[in-house]
Amino acid sequence: MKRLRFALLAAAAAALLFAAPLAAAEKDTLVFSWSSILGDMNPHMYLPNQPFGQAMIFEPLVRYGDDGTIQPCLAESWEISDDGKTYVFRLRKGVLFSDGEPWNANAAKKNFDAIMGNAKRHAWMGFTDQYESTSIMDEHTLKLTLKNAYYPALHDLSTIRPFRFLSPAAFPADGDTSKGIIKGVGTGPWIRVETKKGEYDLFARNDLYWGKKPAFKQVLVKTIPENESRVIALETGDIDLICGASGQGAAQISIEAFKRLEASGRFTTAVSGPSATRAVAINSGRGATADIAVRKAIQHAVDKDLLISAVFQNVEKRADFLFDPRFPYCDADLTPYMLDRALAEKILDDAGWKKSAESEYRSKNGEELVVELCFIGNDPLAKTVAEVLQSDLRKIGMKLALIGEENDSIWKRQKDGEFGMVFNDTWGAPFEPHAMIASMLLPSHADYQAQSGLPMKTELDDAIRSVLLTTDEETRRGMYRDILGTLHDQAVYLCLTYKTMLKVHSPKLDGVDFTPIVMVVPFERMHWKE
Amino acid sequence: MIRFIIRRILLLIPILLCVSIFVFLILRMAKGDPAMAYLRLSNIPPTEQALMEARIDLGLDKPIIAQYADWMGRALRLDFGRSYVTGKPVLQEVLYYFPATLRLAGAGLLFTMLISIPLGVYAALRKDRAGDHLTRLFAFFGVSMPSFWFGFLLIYLFAVKLGWLPPMGQGGLAHMIMPVMTLSLMSIAINVRFLRANLLENIRSRSTLYARARGVSERRIVWVHVMRNSMIPVVTAIGMHLGEMLGGAVFVENIFSWPGVGRYAVQAVFNRDYPVLQCFILMMTIVFVVCNLMIDILYAFIDPRIRLAGEQR
Repeated sequence: MKRLRFALLAAAAAALLFAAPLAAAEKDTLVFSWSSILGDMNPHMYLPNQPFGQAMIFEPLVRYGDDGTIQPCLAESWEISDDGKTYVFRLRKGVLFSDGEPWNANAAKKNFDAIMGNAKRHAWMGFTDQYESTSIMDEHTLKLTLKNAYYPALHDLSTIRPFRFLSPAAFPADGDTSKGIIKGVGTGPWIRVETKKGEYDLFARNDLYWGKKPAFKQVLVKTIPENESRVIALETGDIDLICGASGQGAAQISIEAFKRLEASGRFTTAVSGPSATRAVAINSGRGATADIAVRKAIQHAVDKDLLISAVFQNVEKRADFLFDPRFPYCDADLTPYMLDRALAEKILDDAGWKKSAESEYRSKNGEELVVELCFIGNDPLAKTVAEVLQSDLRKIGMKLALIGEENDSIWKRQKDGEFGMVFNDTWGAPFEPHAMIASMLLPSHADYQAQSGLPMKTELDDAIRSVLLTTDEETRRGMYRDILGTLHDQAVYLCLTYKTMLKVHSPKLDGVDFTPIVMVVPFERMHWKE
Repeated sequence: MIRFIIRRILLLIPILLCVSIFVFLILRMAKGDPAMAYLRLSNIPPTEQALMEARIDLGLDKPIIAQYADWMGRALRLDFGRSYVTGKPVLQEVLYYFPATLRLAGAGLLFTMLISIPLGVYAALRKDRAGDHLTRLFAFFGVSMPSFWFGFLLIYLFAVKLGWLPPMGQGGLAHMIMPVMTLSLMSIAINVRFLRANLLENIRSRSTLYARARGVSERRIVWVHVMRNSMIPVVTAIGMHLGEMLGGAVFVENIFSWPGVGRYAVQAVFNRDYPVLQCFILMMTIVFVVCNLMIDILYAFIDPRIRLAGEQR
């Protein structure tokens, strides 16, 4: 009797324990995961707001299309004055924010005023420097005035943040959204309906959405900080999809895990086209790399193909130029630096960096050929790449001293120019090339410091300032060709790979497309296969 | 007894003061720059002008003693500043995540006691027999196995292969099984060895011999006389285990996506979110010190020698 009672109790306990279904997601809910909390969903601010979440809720005036052209979004059309300083936007009619507030010129202006009231935060963006004012022409017409003709204005307005639009009813009383908002309410296809910080965020379809409505009713985003845990969650069916960058930082999956899932045959996997460039800035203003011969020798000494196959398992593509030539104005008809260690050695010999019997490293006037490569110490991918570069450069008699430090120290080194080489990736669409080129003017950026020793630095800076203000397409193209040509000829960047996005999902899921903007996950296009 | 307790509580004040100074200094002695971290997290280009403004805003331009006084003054009013990342009051965020960690650590401690005490007794009573060897092997395995690795093995077996348990997150009891097992493994292993050694020592003591001579039953000798004496050091160990649990939660919460304060602190470490780190370390110190105080008081109740020695002084 006692045994029977025990058995019954054990059965009841087990039933209680396992009563909850392990994967409780409903069929009309897509389950995704992200490595951090999504934040308050403030369209005008940065961390902890996550761009993919902001892009679900908020929309821009114009959208960066899949083909890289600017497409209408909350503005149906626009006219640009001949002097390039005035933009008149015809706003889309009949659009409502998800709280029922109408989208109109008032709402647009209120957002512009709030964003530009906090311009300091957005100084990285050339547009904020050029912005003068916005004014309401009528209920559905907004006039934007710039100080100068700034050709990438529409590209800047298409970014995920800060130029996206919050419902006027969700503004704080003083209108200053930088200090917080009442609620993240936008015009986009999704509404965040529930958040449990550190656990999940639930998005529901916006039934007031003006565009094509998403197939899924809900998107549940679980917070899973560990990439390995995320992979397990996919394998156990706790999530339906992994989509994002690989490697470190904002990465969602390691290359090794991606390859393993790909080999398993259980999932649909894909690698996107090139997004941004994984590059190393070489300091022309300091140490041995002030010598152009050293910089050029580095270019010819690194075996990128081996790096790509051994470290990146062919998930990333070989990069020969600072920007993928497919980006606007980036096909500058340049000759890539090819692997040729004999040539690299000759360049160094000719420049006076000689080998000696005493050391495996070259020297010149008693100074050993040593270059410091700085990287974020807890980034294992950066460390591995650094070690491969170290090995490659040793073969031509160059010593690469690896300096792994914490994030802030690396930032400080970039700001002060205290590096020989430093990892310096580009930003991808819609920032390439204009925003990345514009950021080269900021002394706090590694690019500025890397270029600081170039004999033509002043002319280069002038050209960068001018190209952003050109109104003639052909002139602009020519200027970009000159700028990119100078940077390439002066060998201030060692371009390694074009980064890619990765996706892994159930074969039943369809419409999981990569978008040109990194960090956008187009849930509204996804649906289960019939 | 009351005097003992009061004295121990008063001792908390200098301990917490020392810890607060230590925490404050160690974070500032580290190579990072809080102003730089603030600008990076706020997406402001770190120009000299921006750095100077940030230093003034954050009070970093003042002498370090004044900075500490400012921070301590506000901390005493439970104002630990705002997170550089979220912009929210730090204490509010730490308290939001804290209950999940306490739940995990509490369950881990309970599980440790439930498994380690019977296992320790069993090993001692079966000394040098197969059961004892197996238990010791388990203990050896438990202290050697890194908890994150053990966690992943559990997930692989019970979630991926067998599909019996959810791999992560909070929910019902089933969600707690693997995190609690991972968290407790090392504490169980230590406790088993500890209890076994104590029991064997007490079984060999003269008081046990006299009890046998008095004709006390073997069961009573083991479970009342020997057990009570052997549990005194184990009670002390509970204080240590709680520290292990809170420390271990940092890893376990990340592996199992458990929304606790450990995971929050790890993010803060990666982000160099100084206000969060200062508050987290101080809070953890308070919890640790208060738990040890309670253990000491409990200890004094169990063992009159401690209490009396304390009162005589």
